[in-house]
Amino acid sequence: MKLTTHSASWLPIAALYTAALVNAHHLAWWCLPVLVLATAWHMRAALYGHAQPGRTTRLGFAALVTVGVLLSFRTLNGISAGATLLVAMTAAKLFEARTRRDWYVICGATLFLLLAACLDRQQLWRLPLYALCLLLCLAALRGLSGGAALPATTLLRESARQLLYALPLALLCFLFFPRLPGAFWSLARDDEAITGLGDEMSPGRIARLSESDEPALRARFEGAPPPAAQRYWRGPVLHDFDGFTWRRHRGAGPPTGTLEFRGPAYRYSETLEPNTHGTVVALEMSQPPDTPYVSMSADFQLLALRPILEARSYELTAYPQAMMRGELSSAARDMDLALPPNRNPRAHELALQLRARAADPVVYINSVYAFLREGGFVYTLVPQPLGRNSVDELLFDTREGFCGHYASAFVDLMRAAGIPARVVTGYQGGEWNPIGGYLLVRQRDAHAWAEVWLEGRGWLRADPTAVVAPERLQRDLLQFGDGFSGGAARLLGSSRWLTSVLQAWDAANAWWQDDVVGFNFARQLNLAGRMGFGDGDWQTLAIALGVGLGAWLAWIAWSLRRLARAARPDALARAWRQIDRRLARAGLPRASHEGVLAYCERLELTQPAAAAALLPLARSYAGLRYGPPGEPAAMREFLRAARAYRPAYRPVFR
Amino acid sequence: MSRLRDAVSAVERVILGKPTQIRLCLACLLARGHLLLEDVPGVGKTTLAHTLARVLGLDWRRLQFTSDLLPADVVGVAIFDRNTQQFRCRPGPVFTQLLLADEINRASPKAQSALLEAMEERQVSIDGVTHPLPEPFFVVATQNPHEQLGAFGLPESQLDRFLMRVSLGYPDREAERALLLAGERHELLESMSAVLTPAELLAAQRAVRAIYVGAPLLDYVQALVARSRSLFQLGLSPRAAQGLVRAAQAWALLAEERAVLPEHVQAVLPSVSAHRLEQRDSGGAGHGARLAAELLAAVPVPI
Repeated sequence: MKLTTHSASWLPIAALYTAALVNAHHLAWWCLPVLVLATAWHMRAALYGHAQPGRTTRLGFAALVTVGVLLSFRTLNGISAGATLLVAMTAAKLFEARTRRDWYVICGATLFLLLAACLDRQQLWRLPLYALCLLLCLAALRGLSGGAALPATTLLRESARQLLYALPLALLCFLFFPRLPGAFWSLARDDEAITGLGDEMSPGRIARLSESDEPALRARFEGAPPPAAQRYWRGPVLHDFDGFTWRRHRGAGPPTGTLEFRGPAYRYSETLEPNTHGTVVALEMSQPPDTPYVSMSADFQLLALRPILEARSYELTAYPQAMMRGELSSAARDMDLALPPNRNPRAHELALQLRARAADPVVYINSVYAFLREGGFVYTLVPQPLGRNSVDELLFDTREGFCGHYASAFVDLMRAAGIPARVVTGYQGGEWNPIGGYLLVRQRDAHAWAEVWLEGRGWLRADPTAVVAPERLQRDLLQFGDGFSGGAARLLGSSRWLTSVLQAWDAANAWWQDDVVGFNFARQLNLAGRMGFGDGDWQTLAIALGVGLGAWLAWIAWSLRRLARAARPDALARAWRQIDRRLARAGLPRASHEGVLAYCERLELTQPAAAAALLPLARSYAGLRYGPPGEPAAMREFLRAARAYRPAYRPVFR
Repeated sequence: MSRLRDAVSAVERVILGKPTQIRLCLACLLARGHLLLEDVPGVGKTTLAHTLARVLGLDWRRLQFTSDLLPADVVGVAIFDRNTQQFRCRPGPVFTQLLLADEINRASPKAQSALLEAMEERQVSIDGVTHPLPEPFFVVATQNPHEQLGAFGLPESQLDRFLMRVSLGYPDREAERALLLAGERHELLESMSAVLTPAELLAAQRAVRAIYVGAPLLDYVQALVARSRSLFQLGLSPRAAQGLVRAAQAWALLAEERAVLPEHVQAVLPSVSAHRLEQRDSGGAGHGARLAAELLAAVPVPI
């Protein structure tokens, strides 16, 4: 019974908590504790009858929360600051939740929070949480809507049924309600760190490369995917080195030769997860897609004109044997030969020694490879941090690192010997998902390699990491059990069953991302066209939406009609309902739980004349309805009298 | 029919200012149900039971329940007769037509359960021999809701066996003045004679069963019972539903109607259901009445 009387309050609170949790990723850290504190306070007051906080306390709390949001976000605008403010203020509303209206406000705020979360994040795993939040909120609203108090299980069951009835409508709107091209909510998105590649690379600073299983991109090939050795996914190209950090070249950069597409081609469609570097990471070397929003830079990166804030799809063609040839302009040569002065002197000395011994650049490159191979270098994800002369320290002191270290050192050695070179970051490898039929590249596949310019041969890829740790290229990081990265990964590798479950889950995510979240205006038009609603414009959608809406309404009307027919009242009931309506119009409504004779008794207290007029009717009605089957004549008599009946009383105010 | 009216007015002469409660008690007995009177001391529980017995012309006994009461004290014992060299049954106070079980919640559960069998089966077993109880057989039990020290609350199974629970409550000002003027009730009782003969009582009980119960009314009762089950954690039992219909029939008989109307169900529902709903969780005295009112308001009358 406690449960029943309190379900009016615990359901909205449960809904509020769910809404706060689905927003947890962008709330200020203090927001959830404040909510818990406010709930505890509210519960104490509700259960033990303690006083609620007074007006001053509440105002002070509101001011404090506002200041807190300003301190945390420096603004009240934006989705994070707004959500934090809303959660904290709704928590404060619990202090004064007394009347039904207050709880309505709380439910409204909860729904708004749910909307905020939906706008912000659309991953598949959140779907059940969002559905749960909506269900709790609906049940809470249903519990608030008056009538007898119902137990929470009933409320939840009935709300779930209502949601199911609404599901076709939601599906219809999803398919045919025109959505604005370009997600409008992206504008309000706050900056956030996305793991994986960035605009710069400082291998010396990283003491521990974390292994993120987050997807970076998925590629679906028309034919067979390229062999593992060719799976180099080109991302940002880094030119500028200060001895410690590699950066992209500012500005457009001079042309660095021409690209000649040749050899076998791989046609594929790629879904790229959001990133911060604005590069469309693509299989080397891919032609720019057929869209004005992606262009190829001078150093053959595919640059997106707009930031990639949500997952995007591209249709691409890759030519792994493409040649990067032509002339290297002197500006480009200077850019890719530049080295910071007075840094890494020991490395430069080594470079000059090796170069002096080598007959030509190719021999020199091989001698550097030999140095890396035979110098006792170790591949590890937990290298020691490096200082200002990062290359020197790596080559001569620590002798351990991951791809970034070796690419950095390699390019440094090349430039010191007068060979133009640059660092290319991207991904290497990818896991074939047989369930979804695509290649999944994860953030942990991030890789860095080098490109060197050889006169007459153009830019060539050189991967020093492959020399230090050839297994690394077999893309079995799993075998690099460096203590911490090993455990879980090895477990995964050892269980076939678990692997296929994970692959199925990723395939479901890919489907969700591509076909549900990525279901855009163009695909809406396409679908409507294919279903025969005309060819591809706004009218098409309007027609499809109208037809679907009509069908849904017809379905609802049909099921309601069936219900209504099942409970169709007989002549006797219709007659009395008419009397009821007339009484209600006269300002004398009968309560639905009131028997007709009890009603007359009540009426007699205030309207004796009206009661006296009604009583014979009520008596004969009660007899006909509840008594043993009687004469048809009595029934006819009653029906006639009921039709003729008009309540005598007219209220003064209508 | 007129004899029933006489019976009601006879009781009303003794118990002043409580017409509804008197009708409920009579309806309970006419529906062959056992009655639980719950009230503070001194408002006339015993007097009411005594009056009912008198007016209905029933042979009655009073049994004061105490914590050391034994089942044998209720149902009786078999004793060895030296003359006949056989065991002879000595019936207990339960062998009567109307048993006034005073302060029933003071007895141990064991003694209570002895009464339980008698109430449900209308028979008792003494030493393995089953003895039928007189016909009619009623238990009118009283208990004091506020006195819980050293009391054994009635178990749910036993509460369910009482068709109705009625509280008299304090008399209103007028009735209390009349009471103060009139003097000792017992003298009035002594002078009363039976209004109904046992045969008439049995006839009235048969008449209760003959009151018409239509399908719409059963719809209503079922809706009430179903609603009680969704509204509260434990709703009304099928036995309670049966009792509700029977009590409503008795009420309709007292109201001199041919058929049971929803109003009759509504009139008896608080007394029939309050004690069954209340004991599920202790919401305090009067809580059950509130639940019953909530239930009534939640179910529309079939039109």
